[in-house]
Amino acid sequence: MRAGRPSVGLLPWGICFAVFGLFPLLYALLLSFQDMNPLRPDASHFVGLANYAHALGSPSFWHALRTTVVFVVGTLPVTLVLAYGVAALLGRIRRAQSFFRAAIFFPATLSMVVVSLVFKSLYAEDGLMNGWLAASDLARVHWLQDPRLALPSIMAMDIWASVGYYAILLLAGRKTLPVEQLEAARLEGLTAWQVERRIVLPHLQPVILFVVLLNTIRSFQVFIEVFVLTRGGPLESTLTLVYHLYERAFYHFEMGYACAIAYLLLALVGVVLLIQRRVLRSAEVAA
Amino acid sequence: MGAQSHSGVRAGGSRRIALTAIILAAATLAALAGAGCGKSAAGKTPVVFWQFSPLATVQPILDRFRAENPTLDVQVEQLTWQSGREKIVAAIAAGRPPDLCELGSTFLPGLVADSTLADLTDSTTDIRSALVGWDGVSYRGRAYAVPWMVGTRALYVNQDLFRRAGLDPQKPPATWDELYRAAHQIAERVPDAKGFGMNAGEREVLFKKFMPFAWGNGGDILDSTLTKSVINSRQNREALRFYLALKPYSLLERQEMHEQAFAKGRLGIIVSGPWLLRTLPKTAPDLRYTVALMPRPATGHGTPASFAGAEVLGIFRGSKHRAEALRLARFLVRPENTMPLFLATGNAFPAAASAAADSYFTTHPLDRVFLEQLRYAVSPPLHPKWVEIEEIVNGELEEAIYGTKRPEQALADADARITQVLSPKP
Repeated sequence: MRAGRPSVGLLPWGICFAVFGLFPLLYALLLSFQDMNPLRPDASHFVGLANYAHALGSPSFWHALRTTVVFVVGTLPVTLVLAYGVAALLGRIRRAQSFFRAAIFFPATLSMVVVSLVFKSLYAEDGLMNGWLAASDLARVHWLQDPRLALPSIMAMDIWASVGYYAILLLAGRKTLPVEQLEAARLEGLTAWQVERRIVLPHLQPVILFVVLLNTIRSFQVFIEVFVLTRGGPLESTLTLVYHLYERAFYHFEMGYACAIAYLLLALVGVVLLIQRRVLRSAEVAA
Repeated sequence: MGAQSHSGVRAGGSRRIALTAIILAAATLAALAGAGCGKSAAGKTPVVFWQFSPLATVQPILDRFRAENPTLDVQVEQLTWQSGREKIVAAIAAGRPPDLCELGSTFLPGLVADSTLADLTDSTTDIRSALVGWDGVSYRGRAYAVPWMVGTRALYVNQDLFRRAGLDPQKPPATWDELYRAAHQIAERVPDAKGFGMNAGEREVLFKKFMPFAWGNGGDILDSTLTKSVINSRQNREALRFYLALKPYSLLERQEMHEQAFAKGRLGIIVSGPWLLRTLPKTAPDLRYTVALMPRPATGHGTPASFAGAEVLGIFRGSKHRAEALRLARFLVRPENTMPLFLATGNAFPAAASAAADSYFTTHPLDRVFLEQLRYAVSPPLHPKWVEIEEIVNGELEEAIYGTKRPEQALADADARITQVLSPKP
């Protein structure tokens, strides 16, 4: 009886996953080996690995990959450190805990489109950011128009939008710390820094691993921010891999090629996740 | 053993439930799929129509069509500008496109290139003289859509900033020299103001912003046979040099930021469309401004050219009800049906030539400027490789605007790259 029910309960999810998850995933793999124009699906034909070869030989692909890697490398550590710090602070707050937790988590409840539109106004020539600079007698900055600043501006927005979510995950991890262990540490005279390093950090390793993996996947897929704020510009300084594949699919109608890029991205993310997992696991064992 | 058979019975029950659920789901999907094809419930022929206007605006027009055509059942759906393109592409790929679809003129070349749209030349000969904008829907003399609404951009001038800069507010710039002088004086003499709005940070619009100057000077991107690049012409080089000369006095921002800055009185001159006429009275009721034709290169030389955009009605080759879709398209483009659409949205003007005689335009002189501007507006060519060509032009213009290439180099590079795109592949 117990063996039967869960499978029935999972059926609606299973059907949805099969139709909207698994089927598109496999179909995209099939398309990646075809020259497929969505406007002429009848003219599709098998091209073997040509789309993959085309991507690997395309300067635009490598430029988009480089931009994406800069985005991931730039946002991941900063987000993790900030989230860790915020979680530590939230753990110490004794008054209005719910308010501060809700406030920190609030950006995570917003759609990235909404966040991007808000930041579009903040980054505008006469937006709030430049207003603050002007109030401090500093020159205005072209946040999204300057090719050197556009990507860092998007990265800053992304960090702001995701720190709260990861901080709450880390805070939940901190709440599972055994009280006896902390008491014993205090009795032994360990400083707060020593407690953090020797007890809290090792205890949070699984949560940190989860946060890093989740954030890595999300960061490699960065699209909405670029779509709303810069469309890959200026001078392709924010052309990320997913935005590049979107352009190839829906503006150039090269669906097969776009699917090949998607699978290359999938492979890349898979490799990065495996490395991260191995590194963090070995760090956990060492601790 | 007993436990095994007990659980086996239960597992069998679960399998039956699962099977029933799958059959129900499949039946539901089949019913939903079936709803979109063949005859509709009342025995009427369905005509699926996708468009971008608010439903409340088009519904009264479609009600009149239904009254005139009781055997047709128009099933209208509103697309959004953010995701409409993707939805159309997905529908074509799935082999279930709408029968009639509103398309932006910039989306058209890709569709024509892939022979996705039905050739409407022979079935629209009788309405050709009644509509403007056929250039934008024709390729090699064949029409692949029906012009519905047409639009263009003109020059918006802040008269207060003109006055403060010592310029005559009643005399908007009519030539390149006058535009340069006005932008320069506003930027130099009015604190916290810029003279001209130069688009930056949105590569996809750059050719629309620069080419009016090139077209006005006799330049173009392709020759009249659409087989050769002429982008590196003397006329285009002059136009680009002039355009870049405005940069020191310009606000380099996206179009929407130009429009906000203009509304706030911080920008002297911008190039924009008629939608601004609807928003400015609400966002900046005290702003004193006027609208003028784009400047021509010099008095007695060139034309006040601008970019021509259009909303057109296309019928996909995969449409199951082409004749009915064409009947709806012919109904929609009538002036009595396009004027309500124009009055409701105000973004584009009726393609019906006779709509220009509507009394609305005698009482709204600024709208009339746009009608006049339409006479000098140029559509991008409906070339099968246009998506690639446009991307090249936008990319090279961006390099010139950001100063990473000299204007001559940018145009020479654009020429080489377009020539490569146009050359037949081995």
